Amino acid sequence: MADTLIDVKDLRIHFFTDEGVVRAVGGVDLAITRGKTLALVGESGCGKSVACRALLNIVHRPGKIVSGEIIFHRMFHQSSGSGSDASVDIAELNPKGREIRDIRGKEIAMIFQEPMTSFSSMYTIGNQIMENILLHTNLSKQEARILTIELLDKVGIPKPSRLIDEYPFRLSGGMRQRAMIAMALSCSPTLLIADEPTTALDVTTQANILDLMQNLQKQYEMTLLFITHDLGVVAEIADEVAVMYLGKIIEKSDVFTLFNSPAHPYTQALLKSVPKIAMTREALDPIKGMVPNPYSRPSGCPFHPRCPKAFAACKTIVPKTTSLGLHHTVQCLLYEDVTERQATEALS
Amino acid sequence: MTSSEHIPQAARQMTDDSYLLEVKNLRKHFPITAGILARLKGYTRAADDVSFYIRQGETLGLVGESGCGKTTVGRCVVRAYKPTAGEILYRRADGSVVDLAQIRGREVRTYRKDIRFIFQDPYAALNPRMTVFDLISEVLAVNHIGTRAERVDQVESLLKRVGMRPEYMRRYPHAFSGGERQRISIARALITNPRLVVCDEAVSALDVSVRVQILNLLEELQADFDLTYLFISHDLSVIRHICDRVNVMYVGKLVETAEATELYTQPKHPYAEALMSAVPVHDPVLRDSQHRIRLEGEIADPSNPPSGCYFHPRCRYAQPRCSTEEPALHDLGNGHFAACHFAEELNLQGVRMG
Ligand SMILES: Nc1ncnc2c1ncn2[C@@H]1O[C@H](COP(=O)(O)OP(=O)(O)OP(=O)(O)O)[C@@H](O)[C@H]1O
Ligand SMILES: Nc1ncnc2c1ncn2[C@@H]1O[C@H](COP(=O)(O)OP(=O)(O)OP(=O)(O)O)[C@@H](O)[C@H]1O
Ligand code: SF4
Ligand SMILES: [Mg+2]
Ligand SMILES: [Mg+2]
Repeated sequence: MADTLIDVKDLRIHFFTDEGVVRAVGGVDLAITRGKTLALVGESGCGKSVACRALLNIVHRPGKIVSGEIIFHRMFHQSSGSGSDASVDIAELNPKGREIRDIRGKEIAMIFQEPMTSFSSMYTIGNQIMENILLHTNLSKQEARILTIELLDKVGIPKPSRLIDEYPFRLSGGMRQRAMIAMALSCSPTLLIADEPTTALDVTTQANILDLMQNLQKQYEMTLLFITHDLGVVAEIADEVAVMYLGKIIEKSDVFTLFNSPAHPYTQALLKSVPKIAMTREALDPIKGMVPNPYSRPSGCPFHPRCPKAFAACKTIVPKTTSLGLHHTVQCLLYEDVTERQATEALS
Repeated sequence: MTSSEHIPQAARQMTDDSYLLEVKNLRKHFPITAGILARLKGYTRAADDVSFYIRQGETLGLVGESGCGKTTVGRCVVRAYKPTAGEILYRRADGSVVDLAQIRGREVRTYRKDIRFIFQDPYAALNPRMTVFDLISEVLAVNHIGTRAERVDQVESLLKRVGMRPEYMRRYPHAFSGGERQRISIARALITNPRLVVCDEAVSALDVSVRVQILNLLEELQADFDLTYLFISHDLSVIRHICDRVNVMYVGKLVETAEATELYTQPKHPYAEALMSAVPVHDPVLRDSQHRIRLEGEIADPSNPPSGCYFHPRCRYAQPRCSTEEPALHDLGNGHFAACHFAEELNLQGVRMG
């Protein structure tokens, strides 16, 4: 598809620990549309960060991409005719090789969930941002410094000309997070993966950052993959939403459909459990049940032990992706012809 | 320096018997140095003359712009930082009052069990070479509380209560997701049955359902053990849910304090109003409506704050006197205070009830 930037197919990432195999990502199919904002939501520990880091071919030990493809449709703008499609399978690249290092930080940039994981406390934030610029552009040191100050100013760091020389531990949590956003934006990436980029920001600063990202998106046709727990943020900026549960994308649709008519029982419960600002101090109602044991995932539908709508077949049959509309898919047996599934499964 | 230094510890008193903590004129200034010779260039006034109290068994919220000094205040309370000046009066279990700002060294450690801190950045806070069991039970082991078997039981049951599997106990922190690490930090803080917990963005990395579970747990513990919380968060719906009263900070200063519902419905400081207006509404249909008050203008620098009211360069109600005269905290009754010259006159908008 011409407007797909990244096509993830049946991605599986397992961690081979002493206690057993953790199937953190268990068969993810996901197409990211060029120039759009895709929000990825889901319970803590469901595999969002592991899956997104894989888009940069970063998989921490003892993890491994055990199967699947991550096709990156790069576009090179050429003077003659339309850009040539030079697709690469990121999953196939050598994680330490030249090719992926050229992609990281330049074509695909990532804002990591915890700022201290990506900043070293040994160097100033300015040095670390400038290093990324110098690595991927032809700018001089002086120009890189000016650009860095500009970026820090854009993300709302006060007195950027002074704070550029500050060490990360002398900044507040939200300032570190914004410095990391500045670093990610420094090379105008084609795809920006933002893993909980605004959790450390107050709502007014967050609003400014979201505006900034949306402006850059328009200006440079940047594609945004936005991981967040904040459904308010999803409602504000997403074009499309993918919902993840235990390593799988269980629902995907445009943002309006998802909020208006969520199909999957998990999505429905998720939208219902949002604490409303108007509400009084009554006990909140979480999704019942515990996150299943990572070493042995439930049979059938992964959500069945906690699902209020589960029926007998949910225990044994793994739901397939069902299309409910133009851009709306779901993995739930409520939307499948179960008798037919049982018949075919009995045959094979 | 305040004169309080000369008061003997035993003679200290709080304004009210119901208070567990009373902070008076707290200041924390960080030196700014430049060059290899570390020449002093000035100070970041991260907390500047902050006063507030927390009643026993109460939850006090602390909100404000990123970088305004919330973590600094929290760290001073648990004495991870030594305050530059001011008093931090704490009522011990036996009823006597101690000024935490004055104690040092070994004495600080004696409060580590009763006053706990949940760190904002769990990745940086958890020692990567310790297993989850060791991380959570460390404080018990150090204080020789319980046998190892008892500690294992305790860690197991607490892990379950924060929604994690006890099987995880022998793993190292890097093998966890962001939200899982945050829950390890929470368990680590709660393991000692503390009296006061400073929660610094303690639930910000959690999805709504786990977050609800943790908030419910914090409230249960409060009901059972009369626990007291200082709750720092950017999430105004969480603050609304869990806090009795809320403090609003701006550039190192306290600008408003009120009972939670009153702050949300009738903010009296223009910064608080801007904050309330920026809360995202959970409905994509409303996304483009012009409801937010955009804070334009330069973000204040805590080492060189604006004259008069610190908020005046960004305030849409600012008058000439705002740039020259610093507003005092106006008493608006019912425990509601706001530091704005026009706190009584302005008719500000509360949060949109979405
Ligand atoms: N190195 C590792 N060894 C074993 N298991 C791991 C490792 N890294 C991650 N996991 C597990 O993989 C699962 C997915 O983790 P991931 O970080 O992707 O979650 P997440 O969806 O980003 O959650 P959160 O919202 O809490 O950040 C988790 O259950 C986690 O415990
Ligand atoms: N250890 C330190 N050394 C020097 N300056 C510091 C230090 N810690 C904090 N600061 C400065 O003090 C100010 C307040 O920081 P603090 O971390 O208290 O903010 P915060 O309100 O918690 O912000 P956030 O919401 O972003 O976490 C900032 O300007 C920060 O740069
Ligand atoms: S497949 Fe069954 S268990 Fe799974 S979400 Fe649908 S109804 Fe619930
Ligand atoms: Mg994550
Ligand atoms: Mg902080």
